Amino acid sequence: MRATTLWSITRVAITFVVLFILWLLFTFSLDLFSLIAGLTGSLGISLITYKVFIPAHDASRNGFIPRPLFLFFFLAVLLYQLYSSSIKMLITIIKGNPNPKIVHFRTRIRSDLARMVLSNSITFTPGTITLDLNDDHLTVHWFFCNTNHSKLAGEIVKGQLEKHIQRVWV
Amino acid sequence: MVETILSIVAFIAFLTAVIFGGAGVFGLFKFKNPYAKLQSGSLCGTTAVISILIGCLALAPTWAMAARIMIIGIFFLISSPTGTHIVARFAWVSGQLSAKEEDDADFDDVEDTQL
Repeated sequence: MRATTLWSITRVAITFVVLFILWLLFTFSLDLFSLIAGLTGSLGISLITYKVFIPAHDASRNGFIPRPLFLFFFLAVLLYQLYSSSIKMLITIIKGNPNPKIVHFRTRIRSDLARMVLSNSITFTPGTITLDLNDDHLTVHWFFCNTNHSKLAGEIVKGQLEKHIQRVWV
Repeated sequence: MVETILSIVAFIAFLTAVIFGGAGVFGLFKFKNPYAKLQSGSLCGTTAVISILIGCLALAPTWAMAARIMIIGIFFLISSPTGTHIVARFAWVSGQLSAKEEDDADFDDVEDTQL
């Protein structure tokens, strides 16, 4: 069997397992009809979407499989960042003294999935919106901009998120 | 005892959702720039919704229901910023400036006309 064929089968299998686990969590049932419906649906959807779910070039296992413990820590940090940014945003809305600016900076993250998670996390926290992600270059609209230095802006906007994402997806 | 604590947590979460949701709507009308409106909208669109999900999680009667709420939360974590990003990116590609850049551009126009 060729390496590319084996890799495609592996990608289908991983996609199928993830979808089936989600199905089990949603239905919370071990009824035979429910299991057959879940298996059939998961297999069908994984055959259609595996190319999108895991890109062919993402051949490193650490590139897309997260470390569970670090993922939990990352979600906790994200939740903290969400509320701290929201309070800052709330004060800015009431006082009406924003300093919005579009800033450009780079990320040290290598994996495509991890970069997507970082840009999604930046958009998720109020006060920052990712406008563009091009390779390792991020363009962000920052509502509380207090510097003209792009590297410093990047460090403030990314905060602790980048460091934690690097631990989740190596 | 545990039920009382969970009810208090849920009450605080729902109250937080109302506060942030209200502030988000207020900001939507207050700011003129589309990016600023999006930033305000994210208070309703993310913080308020996450607070409601935390409240629902505290009040979940069974583990099955809690697991479903968690999955909805994970889907929301992925889909909500994506929607905001699409709108913001379209504005950016269209050449929309940030509020500060717009003010600077207006100031330059005034200076040019005076010269």
